[in-house]
Amino acid sequence: MPQDPLRYFRIEARELVEQLSQGILDLELEAADPDIVGRLLRAAHTFKGAARVVGQNALAEQAHAVEDLLMPYRQSTERVPRETVAPLLALADEMSAAVAALAPAPAADPPAPVAGPPAGTPAPTTVRVQPASAGPPAGPVAGDPASGPAGPPRDPAPAAAPAGTLPAQAAGFAAVRADAQDVDELLDVVGEAHAQFAPLRRQVHAVERTRRSAKLLADRLRARAGQTGDEPPTRTAQSGHATAARLAGELATLARHLTDSVEYLERELDEVRRRAEHLRLVPASGMFTSLRRAARGVADAEGKRVVFEARGGDLRLDPQVLTLVGSAMLHVVSNAVSHGIEPPDARTAAGKRPEGHVEVHAERRGRHGAFICRDDGRGLDLTALRAAAARTGWHPSGDADQDLQELVPLLMRGGISTAPQVTAVSGRGIGMDVLRDISHQLGGEVSIQTAPGGGTTVELRVPLTVVSLRGLNVRAAGVLATVPLDAVRGCLRLDSEETARAAGAGALPYEGRLLPYLPLADLLPGDDRAEPARTAVAIILAAGAETVAVGADELLGTTALVARPLPELTPADAVVDGVTVDVEGIPRIVLDPHALVARAARDTPEPDAGHGGDAAERATILVIDDSLTTRMLERSILESAGYRVDVAASGEEGLAKATAGDYSLFLVDIDMPGIDGFTFTARTRAEPDLSHVPVILVSSRTSAEDRRRGAEAGASGYMAKSEFNQGELLERIRKLVDA
Amino acid sequence: MSPDRPGGADVAERLADRLAPLRASFDLSFMEPPRPAGDSGAHLLAIRSGGRPYALWVADTAGLFTDRPVTALPGPLPALLGVATFRGAVVPVYELAAVLGHPTGGVPRWLVLVAGTPALALAFDALDGHLRLPPEAVVRYGEDTSSHQWMNGMARLPGRTLGVVDLAAVRASIHTMTAHLEGSRRR
Repeated sequence: MPQDPLRYFRIEARELVEQLSQGILDLELEAADPDIVGRLLRAAHTFKGAARVVGQNALAEQAHAVEDLLMPYRQSTERVPRETVAPLLALADEMSAAVAALAPAPAADPPAPVAGPPAGTPAPTTVRVQPASAGPPAGPVAGDPASGPAGPPRDPAPAAAPAGTLPAQAAGFAAVRADAQDVDELLDVVGEAHAQFAPLRRQVHAVERTRRSAKLLADRLRARAGQTGDEPPTRTAQSGHATAARLAGELATLARHLTDSVEYLERELDEVRRRAEHLRLVPASGMFTSLRRAARGVADAEGKRVVFEARGGDLRLDPQVLTLVGSAMLHVVSNAVSHGIEPPDARTAAGKRPEGHVEVHAERRGRHGAFICRDDGRGLDLTALRAAAARTGWHPSGDADQDLQELVPLLMRGGISTAPQVTAVSGRGIGMDVLRDISHQLGGEVSIQTAPGGGTTVELRVPLTVVSLRGLNVRAAGVLATVPLDAVRGCLRLDSEETARAAGAGALPYEGRLLPYLPLADLLPGDDRAEPARTAVAIILAAGAETVAVGADELLGTTALVARPLPELTPADAVVDGVTVDVEGIPRIVLDPHALVARAARDTPEPDAGHGGDAAERATILVIDDSLTTRMLERSILESAGYRVDVAASGEEGLAKATAGDYSLFLVDIDMPGIDGFTFTARTRAEPDLSHVPVILVSSRTSAEDRRRGAEAGASGYMAKSEFNQGELLERIRKLVDA
Repeated sequence: MSPDRPGGADVAERLADRLAPLRASFDLSFMEPPRPAGDSGAHLLAIRSGGRPYALWVADTAGLFTDRPVTALPGPLPALLGVATFRGAVVPVYELAAVLGHPTGGVPRWLVLVAGTPALALAFDALDGHLRLPPEAVVRYGEDTSSHQWMNGMARLPGRTLGVVDLAAVRASIHTMTAHLEGSRRR
């Protein structure tokens, strides 16, 4: 725990004030732009929350004042007037000065006592917060007891959390954010050092070869010395043999020492890599302390009692992701307490325990992290939501479920809030904006479930770029791959007969059930020359509600690894979830259990599943396009779908090939020099031998007029390059070819 | 080497004879105007890919490697050989001949990192050498030369001519192919 409790707040506050100052200046420069106002509101809101957590009430009030000034322009097309910008700038300057004035605490100061676990102890994975004893007694709370929109907020969170108690979470976020780059660079260096082991190992083999040569030489010299008949071997012959034997011995020692040293160094380097990768990721528990503080602060401010629980803190993730997820969950938890949890008397009247329950739970789901906040409060106030939504022009359907389905996305889009009053902690709907923005920024998804009187569950699901996991290493068709161990339910050894039977049936009996069976060798780009294994292993994988058996040649043990996403420009089959770099610096495939399950379900033969496999194998498609890139792209898509493909670079060449060949379909570009796609279509329609071969036009033209011309010329399909969709193209082709 | 020993004068004389040109050369080096630091002329790599000779601008490359293990991936692009690690980063490796639309065969030994981002490596069969040619031996095509889709110049060597591969165009083509596939997958 840092001895300077505001260290990380200063970093974050400086960034936010900078964002505010820059954004306020942008208000003057540009025409009315609600995005800028929205960004400023979010920055002010985040600043306010952070300031409150570390007891900087004056700063929180200033951020609140910024929000007050900006709110009228939130969704307005009106430009923020100069008379509003000026006080905004003044506020930003004041905040900037106040942040700069936050002096570091003297290093010798012991950490102030805190209500939670002592600073410096690892954050527990389960944290329970007792109801704040300092809070107001249970009783009816009308509106917001803390403050009105104009008045300075009473700030109970810092009151409960004495100054000098920076949440461990804030420290965790910023500290690792700063260190991540160093760790990345260290990993790069380690990776490059690993790559140097390959030549080193080759040198070890060269020494070994030299030793064998020396031994051979020694053996021959000894044999020659013994071939001198009755004459005793000469001293020269004896000496030559002895020298060669000594040389072979010395080389053997050298090779052994060299091998030992290389292996030792490699093990050590791998340990460095393993530890560095571990450092690179931080536990989700890092955010729990501030969430607990937020729950407590809001509860105190509103006279509520809340028990906060957190689980899944050992999920390790990228610090930048954790920082953003932490910010989002801060708003979610605040909302849960402020909007969800009822005052104690209301809870008692509803037959609930007087203290509300808010639970935050982090878990890994494949390559995604799920962060769930569940409360046992009143649920979303549908009446208030309907009223708020109605003010934005929404009309209720009359069906409660359908209304909910429509209102939740509306709530997520921002602009509506159910809070009866704007308070210091909530009520502007900005919390939802932050959640939405962060979800969008991380490429994630948000889902909300609510039950009137039963509580609300908000789930933020984000893709994890770097995942630390334990993997089961397998070999199939000569390829090494890793399956996340947490999806593995068991393994079965199969003899050759069982393997053949499972492969033939596409199914394997397991614990009284018949599981879809998917041999990995069919999926991985293995060496065709690899001998089929006499025995195989079936790995029982579970993902979601499904369980499948995946066949591999052998198991190679388990390992802790860090899986990374595939780099850019690397389109791969969905079964590849990412890669991990092994001890030798070689990327290894990490498989996605969900995709394997989906593939097994798809590939399981069904009696009526006429997928056109045979037809696809027979069908030859002529691709005509003057762009090599498009030709190659279409060729690779079609070939990977099992079609034979011929290509032509012009309409003229296409016509010549069409006349000479036997094609099932023409895939034709429109804009080509010479004969264009329309002309090609019309001419082939006019040829009795070709008129039955369907034409699909693929073009960058998107107008209805062009589509009409294509149809008039006789094309069976039209696809705009801007809307190019591989699945759709293949589906259209399949239908036309099968027909 | 004592002058008192017989023949010592001869030795000293021979040494002086050998030193004189060295000294003159040393002195001369201060009198000559500074030479351009190795950047005169065109720097190219002569390579072979898919059985055909090409040249690459050295300035368009970010590193040259040999015998890096490439991990093959199942996927829709035959030109994508897989991924390999370079300085700890995992980078896609495309077969140059396949991108250029030529038949391929065997496993290319050489990998060249293409300058620019995102990281991208191209594999080719053989490196014939580093060429430093006088500027007049290299012709750069104009931007409107559409007939040379993958070439942006020509290098004249004694007895032969090499097409200079436009690595930016190769990169752009790979971007286009992968963007289409990613777009299709997202939908």
